[in-house]
Amino acid sequence: MTLLLFGLFLLFMLLGVPIAFAIGASTLYALHQSGVPLMVVTQQMFQGINSFALVAIPMFILAGDLMAQGKVSEKLVSFADSLVGFMRGGLSVVSVMAGMFFAAISGSGAATTAAVGSSLVPELKRKGYDPASAASLIAASGTIGVVIPPSVPMIIYAVIAQQSVSKLFLNGFLPGLAMGLGLMAIAIAQAYKRQYPKGTPLSLSTIWTTFKDASWGLMTPVIILGGIFSGIFTPSEAAVVAVNYAMLVSLFVYRDLNLPQIYKLLIRSAMTTAVIMLVIAMSAVLSWTLSSWQVPGAIAQAVLSLSTNPYVIMLLIVGIILLTGVFIETASALIILTPVLLPLVLQLGIDPIHFGLIIVVGLSIGMITPPVAINLYVASSITQLPLERITRAIIPYMLGLIGVLLLVVYVPILLGWSGN
Amino acid sequence: MPTQTHPLVTLLQRTERFLDAILQPVVFAGMAALIGVITLQIVSRVLFTAVGWTEEVARFLLVWITFLAGTLAFQRGRHIAVTFVVDALPGRLCQIARIAALLVVLAFMITLIVIGYRYMQVQSFQKSASLRLSMTYVYAVMPICAAMMAWYALVDIIELLINGKTSQPQEESL
Repeated sequence: MTLLLFGLFLLFMLLGVPIAFAIGASTLYALHQSGVPLMVVTQQMFQGINSFALVAIPMFILAGDLMAQGKVSEKLVSFADSLVGFMRGGLSVVSVMAGMFFAAISGSGAATTAAVGSSLVPELKRKGYDPASAASLIAASGTIGVVIPPSVPMIIYAVIAQQSVSKLFLNGFLPGLAMGLGLMAIAIAQAYKRQYPKGTPLSLSTIWTTFKDASWGLMTPVIILGGIFSGIFTPSEAAVVAVNYAMLVSLFVYRDLNLPQIYKLLIRSAMTTAVIMLVIAMSAVLSWTLSSWQVPGAIAQAVLSLSTNPYVIMLLIVGIILLTGVFIETASALIILTPVLLPLVLQLGIDPIHFGLIIVVGLSIGMITPPVAINLYVASSITQLPLERITRAIIPYMLGLIGVLLLVVYVPILLGWSGN
Repeated sequence: MPTQTHPLVTLLQRTERFLDAILQPVVFAGMAALIGVITLQIVSRVLFTAVGWTEEVARFLLVWITFLAGTLAFQRGRHIAVTFVVDALPGRLCQIARIAALLVVLAFMITLIVIGYRYMQVQSFQKSASLRLSMTYVYAVMPICAAMMAWYALVDIIELLINGKTSQPQEESL
């Protein structure tokens, strides 16, 4: 029966049925065949999305869209430029740093790529940077968007694995920082090889003025994360505070959005959310079915009978995560993989928060590995460069990020980390 | 080369646009209400005493937004799908694969209408925890949206058979 389910799912997916409905239809058929009353489908679908923690998803998406649309991202880029633009290949380093700043506002990789890309690409072209390489670096920096909190995939993981969103957010900083530093190091090495120009010289007064200009944007993470970690807001409430703040800033401070635009943005964010939420709803039925057939446990047993060495098994899991990310979009991959892999890693003694970081960082790399690579598509549409050229240029950054992923996997194991 | 569109296709497309024009303001209102309700929750807790019902309303709004905006997204072809396999197929096979995929969606949606409607009736005596709202209203969104998506899928199939392609509204820019 499990084979029938997975076979149908694969067939439907390859036919181009939207993933949410491919999951739903194959599960429904398998349940029907095994004689389970189909009422359980509606019940589990409803249970899967009837959660207050998930309210954070539309709100963080909306806050990120509001900020990416307006002048906030421009000001963040200027501030990053005043800090690190003086180096050789400074603008490359700026695009990584701006990506990290925006990651602390937005919870999605595509929004981060779009925000940084649309304000930096013209400048990069003017200064003679290799356009394909610049676009690929921006796409690679976009992956940090889901690792530095807030993060939509972390919220999804927290709900599925029944972990605390705040704890995942808090532990997201370090991996995000490591990804940023790794990308910067590669960018600087390339800058020396290609003889990129140095940028604007370092000046305290420029730093101060651009900091003041960017302060409206920079306040957002302070409000969101400060509110969550001090315990004033739950993550869902913090997301709504961020939305209110972003609307006030764009309506009254920068005046870069009007009411009709906000109307459309609300509907657009609702659609982005619904696409993810429907996958969550359908997968709730799938994981209910799989666990009632005791499939995840059987998979865990089968894998552990091959080896019980956590280093080997984790390498295998990293391989599965990366490969899934190549073919399936981040949120869907996360929703499908988590219930299957979590019982296995728990048996290895891996902390569930630690595994959350591994799977989020691992799948974020999937955003830059074609054929399904949202950040590359965004970068390609901003720069008007063909996907193949950007893809070729992204290889060094991708290898760098995989290196960071291995650190995220193994350093905590070596240190005997327990998630706190 | 936009040739004469088939009158049936024009009529069907008009029904799609009509549904879309109703759905958009509803989704907007849902999102605005979600922001409003949680803002009220924060303000009331910080300044006065916590209001009990806001969390429940927020959860139900999220369920409604999921299905209604999911319907909008379906009409725009925005649901995540693996398309690189079908795109690589030669013209005729590609056409057949796309119709097959739409038939799967159509069959799934019709099943959802049936089981969603039955679930709605079975649960009609159940009341929500804090608002004492009949759960029928909350669950109703499933069969309603499944019906709309079934209609969209059917229109797409007819368009594919007559025109060989589907019309999708351009992504609105801001």
